[in-house]
Amino acid sequence: MTETTEIQRSSSPLHAILSLIIPGAGQVFAGQIVRGISILAATLILGFLSIWTSAQRARFPDMGVSARIFVIVLLQCLALLALLLIVRYLILRSMQDDASADAASRGILGVGYIAIILIASRPIMDLAGHTPGMLEIYETTLLLAAASLAGLWLWQSNDAALLGAGNPAGSWTPAILVGTLLILSLGWSITGIDISKAISEFSDTQVILRRIVWPWRTAFEYDIDTVESQARIQAPCPPGAIGPEVNEPLVGEAWISVTPTCGDMTVSDNTGTTLGTELTITGGGFEPGQVVEVLWKNPIGNPFTPRGVGETEITISPDGTFVSSLNIPLALVADTAEGAQLHTLVIRQESNEVFTGRLSDQMNLALVGILESIMIGLMATFFGIILAFPVSFLAARNLMMPIMSKTGGVVGGFVGLVPGIWAAIIGTQYVISLFGGLEQAPIIIAIIMVILFLGLGGLGWRLGAWIISQLIEALPVSIGRGVIGFSFAALAATPGYLLGLGFSRGILSIPLSVEVAAVNEQTYAIIGAVILGVAGAAFGYFSGNEGEVSIGALVYAVTRTILNIVRSIEPIIWALVAVIWVGLGPFAGTIALTLHTIAALGKLYSESIESIDPGPIEALQATGANRLQTIVYAVVPQILPPFISFTIYRWDINVRMSTIIGAVGGGGIGFILIQWIRLFQYDAVGLGVWLIAVTVALLDFVSSNIRARYV
Amino acid sequence: MLEIKNLTMVYPTGTVALKDVSFKVEDGEFLGVIGLSGSGKSTLLRCINRLIEPTEGQIIWNGVDVTEADQSELRNIRREIGMVFQHFNLVKRSNVITNVLSGRLGYTPPAWSLINRFNRADREKAIQVLERLGIPEKAHNRADSLSGGQQQRVGIARALMQDPKMILADEPVASLDPVLAHSILGSLETLNQEDGITVMCSLHFLDLVQRYSTKVIGLRDGHLVFEGSKEDVQKIDDERFKDIYGEEAERLGA
Ligand SMILES: Nc1ncnc2c1ncn2[C@@H]1O[C@H](COP(=O)(O)OP(=O)(O)OP(=O)(O)O)[C@@H](O)[C@H]1O
Ligand SMILES: [Mg+2]
Repeated sequence: MTETTEIQRSSSPLHAILSLIIPGAGQVFAGQIVRGISILAATLILGFLSIWTSAQRARFPDMGVSARIFVIVLLQCLALLALLLIVRYLILRSMQDDASADAASRGILGVGYIAIILIASRPIMDLAGHTPGMLEIYETTLLLAAASLAGLWLWQSNDAALLGAGNPAGSWTPAILVGTLLILSLGWSITGIDISKAISEFSDTQVILRRIVWPWRTAFEYDIDTVESQARIQAPCPPGAIGPEVNEPLVGEAWISVTPTCGDMTVSDNTGTTLGTELTITGGGFEPGQVVEVLWKNPIGNPFTPRGVGETEITISPDGTFVSSLNIPLALVADTAEGAQLHTLVIRQESNEVFTGRLSDQMNLALVGILESIMIGLMATFFGIILAFPVSFLAARNLMMPIMSKTGGVVGGFVGLVPGIWAAIIGTQYVISLFGGLEQAPIIIAIIMVILFLGLGGLGWRLGAWIISQLIEALPVSIGRGVIGFSFAALAATPGYLLGLGFSRGILSIPLSVEVAAVNEQTYAIIGAVILGVAGAAFGYFSGNEGEVSIGALVYAVTRTILNIVRSIEPIIWALVAVIWVGLGPFAGTIALTLHTIAALGKLYSESIESIDPGPIEALQATGANRLQTIVYAVVPQILPPFISFTIYRWDINVRMSTIIGAVGGGGIGFILIQWIRLFQYDAVGLGVWLIAVTVALLDFVSSNIRARYV
Repeated sequence: MLEIKNLTMVYPTGTVALKDVSFKVEDGEFLGVIGLSGSGKSTLLRCINRLIEPTEGQIIWNGVDVTEADQSELRNIRREIGMVFQHFNLVKRSNVITNVLSGRLGYTPPAWSLINRFNRADREKAIQVLERLGIPEKAHNRADSLSGGQQQRVGIARALMQDPKMILADEPVASLDPVLAHSILGSLETLNQEDGITVMCSLHFLDLVQRYSTKVIGLRDGHLVFEGSKEDVQKIDDERFKDIYGEEAERLGA
């Protein structure tokens, strides 16, 4: 009977009851403290989440009411489940011990439980709320959540019973399944999933979907071919007037003739309407089967459709002719007009639209937009590579960690850095004035600026380090230590001050009055400065000049932190910032994508640097190569393939991104697209979508080709 | 002449890899370094050109204390001491000639190496060195397309480009088969005898040590436990062997 031990494991009622009262308590009591706490935390979190969600989704959100209803539903579910378990136990006991019956009964139990709850959902909910209609308010979500939680509750109680009797810890699988069910049902509710709506109202999408999917008619311009023929009629017709000549039929051309050519206009007054003289209109040479339009022009030449006096739209017979009649309408004639008043009857045929082969304005805009997008992506990738490349070396742990410096040197370096940077600023200003303004030669000035900052900053660092090192060597040891301690204190106090300021502003600020806030800010800033300053002094004094600081580790940490922050902010957000910075347009989009690209590539690049083979680096160091040479000969050849691969990957992303970055004003096709969407011009939207799709597909093709070739 | 005085190396993990090691290497010697795995052979060789920083002690190279040298002095010392590695440490994706030329970097102005430029004399020297080592036809192949023995020759060629007075070789034949091992050590022996380059070479197999070294030191748990001439090495018996390699060590057919 070894098979059945699986089913009839011994269990401890005490532990089960403990866990039934407080989830996880039985486990803790059985010595499984982490397990117990996890269970309690999971139950609390899931329970709270259920109550909170159903309160939010209910029409009258009230946490207290929702909590009460949830608890009652939970108790009902627990009772139901317990009942089902007892039934299952009795049935199984009456049967032969059989593993497959056991497994089957578990499945039946689970399905039956949920089925009963769903079938009886209305009474369960009404019972919990003491009023009918609770299900409509709280939705099935609450019910399913409670049912799952009940399952979890009994599972962990059973788990405690087994543990308490000395069985080994069982599998988490049932708990994870039930927990997943619970979270899914909450998610269903929070995302407002409504399948019936999705099915019944799908047809609404047809209108725009059809236009977006096949927008190509909008891509081209069409000419409309118009054929017009006219006849002249005199009205009113004074006695003796005979009117203009009747038109003769023409051959190979559209013509109309009207008889008579002189008559009276329709008159309307409060007694009624007297129709004008009836005209007979015949014509020929029109496009068979087409509909022509009848227009009337008064003597001044303003056309209108003569309504109520005859047909205004005539269908041409198969031989191209037609006959129709029209009473002369009422047309305004100036009181002061003299002489014969000549009106014009116009028959106008608008034939089919004629394909011209020219692109429409919208297509032109879309093409310009997609080109702009591609260029934004390209420029952002280009600048991204240039800037991410050097940065990635600073963010590579394996390269930076070994860069050690004597403490004295570091202090001197920082001390020297300040005048170095200061000199670089002065130098830049001088260069700008030399060129007569930044806008005269921005690129050259930018390059000079970078050189100045790197050069003078580096020089300052070296000089400072050298001077302080010499100084410390010349001085007695304790004074030297004092100097280092003092310098470290000064260096550490600055970030301490800023941190204190940030702390007071960021975490404590809001409710204080302005005066108090100002005082407090300074207080916190000074406290920060003192704390870090003292720490710096102690560090500097005790490490002395012999101590070594991993200056590389510092640079690494700072670079990585900045990269991570920049990278975690989406390009769309950067675009918002850039739009305020440089205004609407593609430049803003380029800045946004460049920033994100630097951070993303910087991280990817530096990670591939970190995974290189250190052997060649060691070998080159052993030849007497300096750091720069080691990087050029031992690091660069190793990282080139991953760099190319990551760059292409990023280029891909950038072009995709650039198509949507316009939505917030960053230029490119997204900028136009969002306007068309707002104007409901879905055909044009379709053009944009198509162009993006084609671009992305091409890009995929090109990039996978490049990758296959070089990596 | 290289003189090691009371060298101690403690890794940041606390492992004492070398303890108070002192010995001398005369110019023109072929010094074998023996010892079990983990006895500190690699650590000793790497301390000499300060690829790792020794904790205590002095390393006197031709009268200059290596441990006291600043960065530019250290580079000048390093370029006089070539190094050959067990795993060759070639830049695999670069071609052979570039790998060989990189041995010349200590003599090249840093700015030039940025644009990958070596002068004509250097390039001719590189070809000569490859010819001397018998692989001139591989000059423009990628380093990782060569066999292990050929790669180690490239490693030696790179060291030779430094015009070294001494070559440190850390188990240069441990990843090669016995035939290749003899051919590589033969090359080192030639350099030692013809060019007078001092060689300091850690080896695993006693028979290789007996065949090539003119002097031997033995390490055990970071201590110097043996120092002897070529004759002493030939006479190493089981007793002495166990002294160096520890009690459990078995002598594999010498
Ligand atoms: N980077 C390191 N950090 C910490 N401990 C190290 C490091 N490198 C080596 N050690 C330790 O120092 C001791 C000596 O190692 P070393 O590599 O010098 O031995 P070896 O004689 O070269 O051995 P092998 O024959 O296996 O190469 C060993 O105990 C090793 O574990
Ligand atoms: Mg070793």
